[in-house]
This record gives sequence, structure tokens and C-alpha cells, in this order.
Amino acid sequence: MIEAVIFYFFGAVLLGAAIGVIASRNPVHSAMFLVLSFFTSAFIWLLLEAEFLAIVLVLVYVGAVMVLFLFVVMMLDVAPDRLQGGFTAYAPQALVIVALVVAMLGVVLWAQPGQLSMLEAPPRAPPDASNTEALGAVLYTEYVYAFELAAVLLLVAIVAAIVLTMRKRPGLKAQDVPAQLAVRREERVRLVRMKPERDE
Amino acid sequence: MTDLWYGLPAELQRTLVVTSQVLLLVVPLILSVAYLTLAERKVIGWIQNRIGPNRVGPKGLLQPFADVLKLLLKEIVIPAKSSRFLFVIAPLLAIVPAFATWAVIPVSPEFVLADINAGVLYVLALTSMGVYGIILAGWASNSKYALLGAMRSAAQIVAYEIAMGFALVGVLMAGGSLNLGEIVRAQEGSILHWFWLPLLPLFVIYFISGVAETNRAPFDVAEGESEIVAGFHVEYSGMAFAVFFLAEYANMILIAALSATFFLGGWLSPLQGIPGLDGTFLAAPGFFWFALKTALFLFLFLWFRATFPRYRYDQIMRLGWKVFIPLTIVWLFVLGALVWFQVGPWFD
Amino acid sequence: MIGLSHYLTLSGILFTLGIAGIFINRRNLILLLMCVELMLLAVNFNFIILSRFLDDIAGQVFVFFILTVAAAEAAIGLAILVVLFRSRPSVQVDELDSMKG
Repeated sequence: MIEAVIFYFFGAVLLGAAIGVIASRNPVHSAMFLVLSFFTSAFIWLLLEAEFLAIVLVLVYVGAVMVLFLFVVMMLDVAPDRLQGGFTAYAPQALVIVALVVAMLGVVLWAQPGQLSMLEAPPRAPPDASNTEALGAVLYTEYVYAFELAAVLLLVAIVAAIVLTMRKRPGLKAQDVPAQLAVRREERVRLVRMKPERDE
Repeated sequence: MTDLWYGLPAELQRTLVVTSQVLLLVVPLILSVAYLTLAERKVIGWIQNRIGPNRVGPKGLLQPFADVLKLLLKEIVIPAKSSRFLFVIAPLLAIVPAFATWAVIPVSPEFVLADINAGVLYVLALTSMGVYGIILAGWASNSKYALLGAMRSAAQIVAYEIAMGFALVGVLMAGGSLNLGEIVRAQEGSILHWFWLPLLPLFVIYFISGVAETNRAPFDVAEGESEIVAGFHVEYSGMAFAVFFLAEYANMILIAALSATFFLGGWLSPLQGIPGLDGTFLAAPGFFWFALKTALFLFLFLWFRATFPRYRYDQIMRLGWKVFIPLTIVWLFVLGALVWFQVGPWFD
Repeated sequence: MIGLSHYLTLSGILFTLGIAGIFINRRNLILLLMCVELMLLAVNFNFIILSRFLDDIAGQVFVFFILTVAAAEAAIGLAILVVLFRSRPSVQVDELDSMKG
């Protein structure tokens, strides 16, 4: 009962947000709708007993990736009316493709209705079961090479992103800490002995 | 009375219990946020040889209420070309994560709202959401200063979050759990068993990053009143401004409480493990010690603000990316060795 | 009772919306990236749903790796976008035609 309420509520919000992503005219609004859809997905993932991934989804996507998106959207500062405008221009193609995808999914999902409903959900895990532990137990043993590979991939992504966006601009006043620390008193201070001046 | 209580359906009973627990946590929290604003003005006043606010009520103790009343009665001005909905919702997005994180913080050995397994992850996920309020406020205001302030603070928050995350990796390596209560229990023994000692660099980095994360002095370039007037909340007035203000202080309390939990043994007594005192009420764990440690960190926040000049923006970024992150990674290796060789008294 | 087909329908609709978004917004690169994220979310959904219903944690491991790859993809994609915007003040897909023979 409570499961159904949660599912339908968050499912409705999720689909509404997804429509908002693809239909809003302002990319900042699109990004915010995408944040909302990630957030509601996390709740449904909680329902599916994937607590660790639900929190990681919020941490990685809402906390990092979408902030990056918002940053780029705001910094590029493209006028909103120039950005879309062609909303209806491609609607026919979109409709055809969507119809195709729906048909394909429909064949899989509903063609043999008996098969899917036969798969019953296993009973809920006890309250003290740790999803994080279960995931870690296989991640660091069975999938350890893939895990290492993912780490290398992230490193490559970091380096690539920096290399792509880094540029040397002339006239940039960067702080050179060793040079600052290496400064000696004699280089900066000059003691001048002056004769006393007298106001007449 | 008891008959009436047991006559209620079980679901309703549970809802009532949880609601009252939430109120028990949130109401004192809001009060301490209010009084933190007064404490800040008083403490900085004393440091600068002034007396601070002393007019409203006895010794100025009713000042926060006067402030709230004033802000409540002021008009909320919404700029004409702003994005109305985002403009209004931004302060809420700033304050909600600051309060929601408290759900997993164990304030005493018995009292924690949600004793979940992945507590540390929950904390990380929610604190990373606070940045949205700031970005949206800056963007929705449709004002140069607001956008500049929002960009600065968002970049700063994202940068320091990484250092904080790495510091927390150290904590969970040492504590061996993602549950905050378990982390506190792992520090049991004496003041020397607390994690501040084996994790000293991480502790310092965590707290300094926390100061940067809350956009407090000396990392307050996001507000930078001398260069970009007030940064992201320059267009806000009245209660909308007050909510941002409260969010900042609620975040301060949150960072202070988290530092106390992760590194100073949460509700454990500092007098534990001293011969002769063990078994007496002085060595007993309790809410008092948690509050005391949190207050200590809060005092540090205020002390910093009264002492240090503001960092320049590129210096902040340099400190975050080039100093803190490498340092935390190095210390994680050291910590790994300590855990591996079971160096006492923490990891044996 | 919420069963497997409910969940799968939800993720199916989500995926379809992502595809529709790509076709509707095919002039703006940023929105294209967002729609790809939406589709990846739907894929992750499927993995998690089946991980729950087949009682096999491997599905969640897959989602873990997809999240990693998607984060890397977003970072590099946005970096390319920024570089692109520096050389020409537009992120419209149909204006990126300098490779035309």
C-alpha cells in the first residue's frame, strides 16, 4: 500500500520533470528539471533496496554533474530564445522515432504479459541488512579489475577535461608562492638616510 | 491518558513519535541558530573591545527576536526581470539540506533520528545540495553582482567538497563504518583515542574546508561586501534574506557538529579513561559533551572572522586544489599503513 | 501491488522521453547532453529494477560503473563544449558545419 503511494507519487513527479527537461525553453530550467528527476529517481531506487546507489546518484549527479551543467549553461550565456525555438520543427521525426521505440518496448513488455508478472519480488531484506556492504563485497573481489579500470577512466577524464579547457592567457597575475617566500628583506626594503629638512 | 495513547492505531502512534522527535531536534536547533547570530555579534564585539548589542531585553538577549520581527515585517522585493519561481525557491533550497542532515547526527548515545547504515554518505549527499540555493539565487536575481557571487561560491564549494570528502574517507577508514553512531563508538577510550590525533591533518583540513564550504570569513569572497556588495543575495530582502542568513548559520552549526562527531568523539566525555574519574558522572558520555564540542567549533568560526583578512579568490582556489586535496590523499596512504600495521591505541 | 511491469514501464517511458528530447532539441548541444543523461538514467533504472527482482547484486555493480562512465562523459563533454564556445559563440548543432567539404 505505502509502496504503491510512493511509487506513483515519485513516478509521476519523475515523468513530469523529464517532460520539463525536454520541453522547457530555458536551459537553466531544463537543468533544474533534470536535477528534480535525478532526485525523485533516488527515492524510487530506495524503494528498490538500492540505498547505496540512490545516495551516490544524489551525490554524484545532483551534487557534482548537474552543478557542472548549470555552470556551463550560465557561463556560456546563450540567449534563451536563440537556443530552442525549433520546438515543433522536428516534432514529426520525433513522433516517428518515439512510436518506434514504444512499439519495441511494448513488444518486450506487454506481448507476453504472463512472463513478467510471474517474476515476483523476493521478500524485503531485514532492516539491519547493509546494501553498501553487499555491494562492496562483490565490488572489491569479483569486479576488482573493472573497479580499477573505472578509477583509471576517471583519472583520464580529469586530465582530459583540464587539458581541454586550460589556456595560458597573457597578463594573468597568478600567485607564485615559492617566489613570495624566497623574498628577502634586502630586496624589498632600502633604508635611506636623509638629512633633516627644515621648513623655513 | 495512557489508554488513549494505546488506543491509537500503530501507524499513527509511530507518526506521532517521529514527529515529536523531529520537533525535539529542530526547535532547539532553530533557537541555537537565532542565538548564534547574537553570539557572533557579542563575541566579535568583545574581541574588538566593544560591548555588542545590549539594548533589546536584559543584556541584549532578546535581540534575535527583534531582528526576526524586523525582517518579517519588511517587504520582499522581487526584481522585475527575475525568474520568479526560482527566485522564491532558492532560499528554501539553501536551508533545507542544512536541517535535513541533522537526521543522522547522533546528539547523544540514545538520541538519533535515523540510525541509518550509510550515514556518512547521506551527510555528503545532502551537504552537496546546499550549493543549489546559492547558484539559483545568483542566476534568478538577474543581476551582475549576484551572478558573480554565485559563481564564486559555487566553484569554491565544489572545490572544498572534494577535500572534505577525502577527509571523511579517512574517518570511515579509521572508524570502519558509515554509521555516525558507530564512528563515535570507535573513538571510545580516552581523549587520546579520539580520531583527532591519528587523523590530525584530515581534522584540520576538514574544519578549514568546512569554513570555506559555509562561505564564512576568511573565505567569504562570495559575499565580498567590499567588491561585489553582497554577492548572491544582494537582491533579497525581508524574510527571503533572513532565510539565507539562517541557512548560513545552520550550516555553521552543522559543520561544527560534524567535526565534533567525526574527530572529537561526539558525545564521549574527554575525562573518560582517567584513573579515579572513570565511573563518575564526569566520565559519562552524554549530550552535554556533544554540545560543548560543537560550541567550541562555533567559537572558532567567530574567532576566525574577527581575526583573519579575506583571502583573494585565486588564493582560495589554490589552497583547495593544490594544497588540501594532495595533502588528504597523502594522509590516506599514511592512514592505510597505520591501519594495516594495527598501530595502537586506535587500530589494534 | 507494484510489480516488475510497473517499474519497467516507468523506465521505458523515461527512456522514450530521452529519445524524444534528443529529436526535439537537436539544435542545442547542452540539451542533447542532458537528454543523454536522461536516457542513461532510464538504463540505470532497468539494471536496478532487475537487480531487485532477480535478487542479484551484479545489476547494481553495473549501475555503479555506468555512473562512473557517465560522470566522466559529462565532464569531458562539457569541456569540449566550453572549448567550442570559445572558438565560436554558438552551441547550435546546425552551425557546426565547418567540416563540410
